[in-house]
Amino acid sequence: MNSNVETLIRIVNLHKSYYDGESELPVLQGINLEIYMSELLGIVGASGVGKSTLLHILGTLDRPTTGNVLYDEQDVFTLSDTELARFRNKEIGFVFQFHHLLPEFTALENVALGALITSSNNKSVYKEAEALLDYVGLSERLSHYPSQLSGGERQRVAIARALINQPKIVLADEPTGNLDRRSSEAVLELLWDLNAKSGQTFVIVTHNQELAQKVDRVIQLVDGKVF
Amino acid sequence: MRFEWFIASRYLRSRRKQSFISIISIISIGGVALGVATVILVSAILDGVEQGLKDRFLANEAHVVLRLHDTSFFGDYQKRISQIETIDEVVAVSPVVLSQSAVFQERSNAIQDVIYIKGIDPVQEDRVTDFSKFVDGSTELQNSRYIESARLIRDETITGGIVLGGRLAARLGVIKGDVLRLIVNLAKHPVNESMLIPDLANFVVVGFYESELAVYDNNFGFIDLAAAQKMYNKKNRVNTIFVRLTDAELAPRIARQIEDKVQFSVLEGMPDARTWMEMQAPLFSALRLEKIATVIIEALIILVASFNIASTLIMTVMEKTKDVGTLRTLGASRGNVMRLFMIQGSVIGMLGTLLGTVLGLVLCWLLSYNADRPSYWYAVVLVVPIFLQVLIALRRLIPRRKGWMFAMSLLWLVAIGFALYCAVTPISLADLGLSQVYQMNQLPIQVNWFFVVFINILSFLICWIATLYPAWQAANLKPVEALQHE
Repeated sequence: MNSNVETLIRIVNLHKSYYDGESELPVLQGINLEIYMSELLGIVGASGVGKSTLLHILGTLDRPTTGNVLYDEQDVFTLSDTELARFRNKEIGFVFQFHHLLPEFTALENVALGALITSSNNKSVYKEAEALLDYVGLSERLSHYPSQLSGGERQRVAIARALINQPKIVLADEPTGNLDRRSSEAVLELLWDLNAKSGQTFVIVTHNQELAQKVDRVIQLVDGKVF
Repeated sequence: MRFEWFIASRYLRSRRKQSFISIISIISIGGVALGVATVILVSAILDGVEQGLKDRFLANEAHVVLRLHDTSFFGDYQKRISQIETIDEVVAVSPVVLSQSAVFQERSNAIQDVIYIKGIDPVQEDRVTDFSKFVDGSTELQNSRYIESARLIRDETITGGIVLGGRLAARLGVIKGDVLRLIVNLAKHPVNESMLIPDLANFVVVGFYESELAVYDNNFGFIDLAAAQKMYNKKNRVNTIFVRLTDAELAPRIARQIEDKVQFSVLEGMPDARTWMEMQAPLFSALRLEKIATVIIEALIILVASFNIASTLIMTVMEKTKDVGTLRTLGASRGNVMRLFMIQGSVIGMLGTLLGTVLGLVLCWLLSYNADRPSYWYAVVLVVPIFLQVLIALRRLIPRRKGWMFAMSLLWLVAIGFALYCAVTPISLADLGLSQVYQMNQLPIQVNWFFVVFINILSFLICWIATLYPAWQAANLKPVEALQHE
């Protein structure tokens, strides 16, 4: 880890509960956490402990019950829904356990989607997407549909998609959870390489002990709190 | 909007690349198209019937008919005609003696029918109605050869010629040259005053009136004005004046002007100028009622089609829930998602509406285009594309390339077009036995372009509204839940 670290995200006393009628199910119970610029942060913990919930709130896909999430000291949940969508578009990339590629679109189009939401220059977007697919080693697969790709290839397309808007932070939820050993290794190598080259921040939720040992810092969630 | 178009257009297309567009989109587009085509066709038929009846009435009827309230005779009609002619919108005026009379043939000794007798000056009448156009035979009501020969071989007095409604003549069983007796008046018997004796006039049938308008063809006889005046002993008097205007729609206004312009003395009575609309009010109000009912049904047809769009979109939203979640993680806003589904629905609505308009207009054209067609059996050409399509589906003989798909679509279009051309022909009302009811021989078609535009806008609007709920539903999916949707 670098010695002069800069904080990218500060999570302050974050609570998240789910409600089922009258009964409250607390998931996150007072999380305080700082995420630094350019670090590779691993989040581990037992199943159902709230790792994914934390990641979703970090990714602004879900709102906390109480508490704040500050990106560069700005509380993102004060933003309107549209502003939040724009923020997510520009600043955050997602990689999921299941690739979540859109089946009707080619690899190239899937990668470009995130930029097409706001861009008016399709040509440069596709050029960028092509470069990213080239980087993840799929330059031969541009016009293939997700159904024509292997599991590892799909996940690499998903990684390229997460990077299209050069986000400050990439959130990965069990990125290798659904892959065989060889594909997993290829995907992880890619993430490490990216982190080293671009200096983007990566937050990786995982079960994988091996993976957890390779990251800069690991936090463990126990009973909805950082252990 | 570009982003939304990009996604929406892809969702409209087929996942399996057999055709340009997915089956579900085709079904929804077809639903709207059929609805719109039906509406256009039905309205064109209704408008055609109304216009056809109107045209026929106006060919037979004056635009304005002037008479006295009690329909009694009045003199000085030439002066009154010139008073009417001073009105700018008046094209022609014709004096008429209108009456009813019982008729029977000379061979018969019982009254066969009671008919309307219209005493006219054929020349003047022709300027007001299309009288001579409809007459099969002679319009010479004074001196035709039939009258000459009848006068030669009979010792009875022949008052003149009569043009009889074609169907009336058929009913009475008379042919040209036959003599028809009209009962003009009942006179008291000179000795026994409680007995009435009919005052008869003999007319020679010189022609048949075939206007294709049942009211006239069934009930009217036309005689010369002077003969009518003489018959009723009303020399230089008439009881009706027929007026034609530059535009039939002006009738209500001009009728009032005529009532003001033409002077009648107190003894003569009050003038009563009636328009053709008033005379045919029951018919045209029935048509209007029919039209209102049809417009309601038409709106319902399009509404049903729009339900189709709504259900298609709701299904798409359900199918694409995961995609919506993904798009939200990529930074698509609620607005983006809402717009993308609205675009998808609107495109279906727009394509359906346009396709339906084209189909409706083509059907209208085919139903009004009188030309010899190949027999409708030639519609079997449709088996060619069906056969090929089945081959493609079963044997995968034809590569699924864009060129082939395009050729196949073109083949479908040509085959359907040709089949329609052979199978859809003008509908003969005479063959259906309806020509008497509707007083026309062929189902008339009249396309009202204003209505076509109106229906296009209405249909598109309804379809657009139908997209709102599903699109709103999609926009309000929670991203996390949508992502985890299976």
